[in-house]
Amino acid sequence: MAYRNLFATVALAGLFAADGAGAQDFLLKYPDIVGQWRRPAGIGIQWDQSKRVGPAQEAPLTPEYQARYEANLADQRAGGQGTDPLGKCIPPGMPRMMSVIFPMEIIIMPNTTYILTDYTDPRRIFTDGRAWPKELEPTFTGYSIGKWIDEDGDGRYDVLEVETRGLKGPRTFEASGIELHDDGESVIKERISIDKANKDILLDEITTIDNALTRPWTVTKKYQRERGNVVWYFNHCAENNHHVWIGKDNYMVSGDGYLMPVKKNQAPPDLRYFQSSQK
Amino acid sequence: MLDRSSIAVVAMVLALGATMGDARAWDEALYPDLKGQWRVVGGPMRFDPGKPWGPGQQAPLTAEYQAIFDKNLKAQAAGGQGTTPTYTCLSPGMPRVTNGYGQIEFVVTPNTTHILVQHIHDNRRIFTDGRDWSAAVEPTFLGYSIGKWIDTDGDGRYDTLEVETRNFKGPRAFDSSGIPLHEDNQTIVRERIYLDKDDRDLLRDEVTVIDSALTRPWTVLKRYRREPDRQPYWREVNCAENNNHVEIGKENYMLSADGLLMPTRKDQPPPDLRYFAQSQK
Repeated sequence: MAYRNLFATVALAGLFAADGAGAQDFLLKYPDIVGQWRRPAGIGIQWDQSKRVGPAQEAPLTPEYQARYEANLADQRAGGQGTDPLGKCIPPGMPRMMSVIFPMEIIIMPNTTYILTDYTDPRRIFTDGRAWPKELEPTFTGYSIGKWIDEDGDGRYDVLEVETRGLKGPRTFEASGIELHDDGESVIKERISIDKANKDILLDEITTIDNALTRPWTVTKKYQRERGNVVWYFNHCAENNHHVWIGKDNYMVSGDGYLMPVKKNQAPPDLRYFQSSQK
Repeated sequence: MLDRSSIAVVAMVLALGATMGDARAWDEALYPDLKGQWRVVGGPMRFDPGKPWGPGQQAPLTAEYQAIFDKNLKAQAAGGQGTTPTYTCLSPGMPRVTNGYGQIEFVVTPNTTHILVQHIHDNRRIFTDGRDWSAAVEPTFLGYSIGKWIDTDGDGRYDTLEVETRNFKGPRAFDSSGIPLHEDNQTIVRERIYLDKDDRDLLRDEVTVIDSALTRPWTVLKRYRREPDRQPYWREVNCAENNNHVEIGKENYMLSADGLLMPTRKDQPPPDLRYFAQSQK
């Protein structure tokens, strides 16, 4: 009987430890990254946060991809979507998802660091020491392997180094349509860390190596932490998406539910299958 | 009142507990081991995996919602989508997301248990930080979930996650046969999630739905099997990619392999092109 009480007390103590010391000790090994991360005030969805969206980004594109970019800009000016695939609810993929259109949560677990953006698929950054798989099925988010590093030797990890491969397209850096190469051979390297001067600023130094670029393109993203009772928005691209693609043509659905053109003098869709159906 | 020896025992035990907490990772020691990839047992198409699809589910629908369901079945038989809204890549929402049509991962953290589902955009946050319902704001397809980890057998480890989910919007259906939930969206979903005591690679989710479309609470038992590979392959699924459904107004069409719009049912009229006529004047 006494043993039963003792076991019950041990159980109680174990649970007590769970809410206190255990969790804190685990977190002590890693940077405090808990909370909601947003783009800082005044920062839009441009790729390089220090420059304006569009040609001002001065993306180091090859001549071929520069020409494609300019054709895309002309299409966007005419009312089209250009090379930006998000109108179809294709996910932004890597690296664009790190522009964090909607708030981001980072969850550190011993073998995986998760990046949830409430807009697109979760990123899994495997930190379990695995090697690159022999074969990778290409995805928009890619396959990410990371390593936590204690750079300043204080016994606590402070930088997550990540490499991402195994990508597919179409992907662009931003809504202006700066494309990544069709070959999906991008390699994206990141260094994710808390700003030493401000624990509520997260930095992600992102270097993109891609055959659409003449050189590696490095930008540093900043994110601002929201603490307390944050609101997580549920952003669902397909809900109320008025873009419609029929073949290679983009149309819109009007507020009153009719198909409408997006460009002046755009031809309506070919309805030949309706004619044959109604014979 | 505790005597001195009792206090000493309690102090020793607390110290022991703290030491145990120091020595082990919180997630592994005090929460059930839910790591890995889970797939539903019995297929994802049915809400109650123990019964046949469609009318065989014997959903306890009110007369009004039974009529809606029957009409939906006729629409589906004619080639339409009926009352199941996911063909446009809308999230299936709760409770349908528990049907397990994609790979599932549980990520247990001190304040939130995340359930990541690889399908449309169905990642759930179950808040276990003791909050109340006042933080629930905008209605969503997945709703707002508050949970509590419970040590039901008193062994010092949590074994069951009790969850209540509210604050929904629609349209939502229980499964692909189109069994509808009420359009008032006052649904309450209660779950008990736990590992099978005899098979630690089998996870159970007792799901009870209280909804105005039902004559009584509807309880089903879901089972998920853990994949043996501890470094599983996570498939990226994007509903919008290669989705050949096109919705224009209230009509559903399909895209043919050659990229042309085509009807989904016999004698379906083509879309009204009145705005093209204006554009080309």
